[in-house]
Amino acid sequence: MINVLRWLVFAIAAFAMNFPILVTLVTSFKSTRELSTNPGLWVQAPTLDNYLAVFQVSDRLNIFLYLFNSITVAFIGTTLAVMLAFPAAYAIARGKLGERTLLPFIVNLRAVPLIIFAIPLYMMFQWLALLDTRLGLGLILSIVNLPLALVILVNAIRDLPGELDEAALMDGASRLQILLRVIAPVCRPAIVTSLIFGFITSWNEFLFGLMLTTSKAVPITVGASFFFAASGGGVQWGVASAVMVVGALPPVLLGLIMYRQISGSMTAGAVKG
Amino acid sequence: MGTISLRKAGKQYGVIDIIKDLDLEIADGEFVVIVGPSGCGKSTLLRMIAGLEQTTYGQILIDGQDVTAAAPVERKLAMVFQSYALYPHMTVRQNMGFGLKLAKLSAGTIKAKVDAAADALKLTPLLNRYPKELSGGQRQRVAIGRAIVREPVGFLFDEPLSNLDAALRVDMRLEIAKLHRTLGATMIYVTHDQVEAMTLADRIVVLKDGRVMQHGTPHDLYEKPANLFVAQFIGSPKMNVLPCRRSGDSRLDLSGEGIMELPLTGDAAPLQIGARPEHLSLVAPESGHCRGTVEASEYLGGSISVFVRNPTLGLINVSAPADSAFGIGETVGIRIDSTRSSLFDGKGLAIGTAPLTL
Repeated sequence: MINVLRWLVFAIAAFAMNFPILVTLVTSFKSTRELSTNPGLWVQAPTLDNYLAVFQVSDRLNIFLYLFNSITVAFIGTTLAVMLAFPAAYAIARGKLGERTLLPFIVNLRAVPLIIFAIPLYMMFQWLALLDTRLGLGLILSIVNLPLALVILVNAIRDLPGELDEAALMDGASRLQILLRVIAPVCRPAIVTSLIFGFITSWNEFLFGLMLTTSKAVPITVGASFFFAASGGGVQWGVASAVMVVGALPPVLLGLIMYRQISGSMTAGAVKG
Repeated sequence: MGTISLRKAGKQYGVIDIIKDLDLEIADGEFVVIVGPSGCGKSTLLRMIAGLEQTTYGQILIDGQDVTAAAPVERKLAMVFQSYALYPHMTVRQNMGFGLKLAKLSAGTIKAKVDAAADALKLTPLLNRYPKELSGGQRQRVAIGRAIVREPVGFLFDEPLSNLDAALRVDMRLEIAKLHRTLGATMIYVTHDQVEAMTLADRIVVLKDGRVMQHGTPHDLYEKPANLFVAQFIGSPKMNVLPCRRSGDSRLDLSGEGIMELPLTGDAAPLQIGARPEHLSLVAPESGHCRGTVEASEYLGGSISVFVRNPTLGLINVSAPADSAFGIGETVGIRIDSTRSSLFDGKGLAIGTAPLTL
């Protein structure tokens, strides 16, 4: 009896929290005609028309370009952030460089509303000819991702015994070799975690995508909004839902596949051994 | 070759002296153990020799070459850490071969050297395992193996056995002693465990507050401690130190509790006499050098550690034969073997060698 109650509570909570996703998913399989007659959570005549419409490449809309843009900028924004944060984290954790001021300062960047950077960045990007480029958007995303990556990596390196570095020094390793051949492999779970969090953040980023791109480098978050009124005359709910499902799929899949890596590294720091 | 010399070497953190004006000459093939209480600077000293810690002033020479400013690898020393410090993402084979790989040796040479070292340390069946799959003792052997393959001029051990349990520690101690005999390399070994120091060392260096209190063979330190600190630090259970004063030419007055016959030279004026528990014996109350009441006793199997209270001299620890008969609260006499006792002046420095040459 207790067990049944427990599952009931769980089911209600799961339903309530995932309601928006369920509605979007269901709507994406409804035809335009059914949408106006059936507001319920079931589909009478499932159709893939909305998805076909989404994958239709036209002069104005190109979902493949948006997906490609998102993957590229997320890749740049994530790897660059981790590549910059990793040596910095080593210097902070081991050399105690910037531990007092630099680390809190960088971490605090996360607390500042990103919109503050919008206008100056637009001017800078215009001057540097980075507007509407994947590289430009990727660079901004690396700045957005850097603080979290830095915090994760500093903590991971702090947890490693300093004798590991010293043993490598005695073995004749240079600082760079210690970093790449000893610390990096040992910190792999933390690095993977930073990469995943960075990728998800980058993928979901909307503000800079909206501001800094117009056509060539539009990411999926911004591109998806183009579909809402694709043929004019009100929002096409079916197509809008389908594009949202397509856009949300990559990070969801990544999260599911990498879940073990994330949870593994989260506890690795907490429990020594 | 592997001579290591420290000339007036020192280490300061800010204004605090960790190691002060230290002179030490270590001969090729010598096994030197550095002992001292926590915070005496013994690990810092080892790390200065290794090059992991910068030397603030003075010189460190290896085989006559000044290496004070040299990088650790240029000193051709190998170090075994207390925490083993194995690379967790590498197998035993990769751990042992890492230094050779960095030195850009060929894969064949690396394999041959690692195989030879693994064979000597009985690590061959473990070569493809990862450190997390090994026991503490096995990990320590891998750490030693990693040191051996590089054929260093000297080995540095930083409390290598303190993470092992008691039985394993004895085994590994014997293994390290054997290793020293077979390799004949210079070894410097830091420990706070004086049993390790006594059993392993050709020479012990006793350190306190960054200064050498005494160095010499285990026998010298045990029999002829240069000062009270060494006298009480070396030997277990601790040496008894009793207040006394000179009384005439060849007599020592145990603070009014008894008189000892001792040939004292010149104008030596000892204020303390040190006697190890094993050099004291329980006798009838009227025939000892002093007397007291038995306060407690600890049965150790081979002997009994008896604690005798004397109102003036304090608590005296006597090591008595296991079959001794006495009761708690009983008054006993204590006989001091005057030929094995040490005398100290008011500053705690040993006086002459007269008691030892009797």
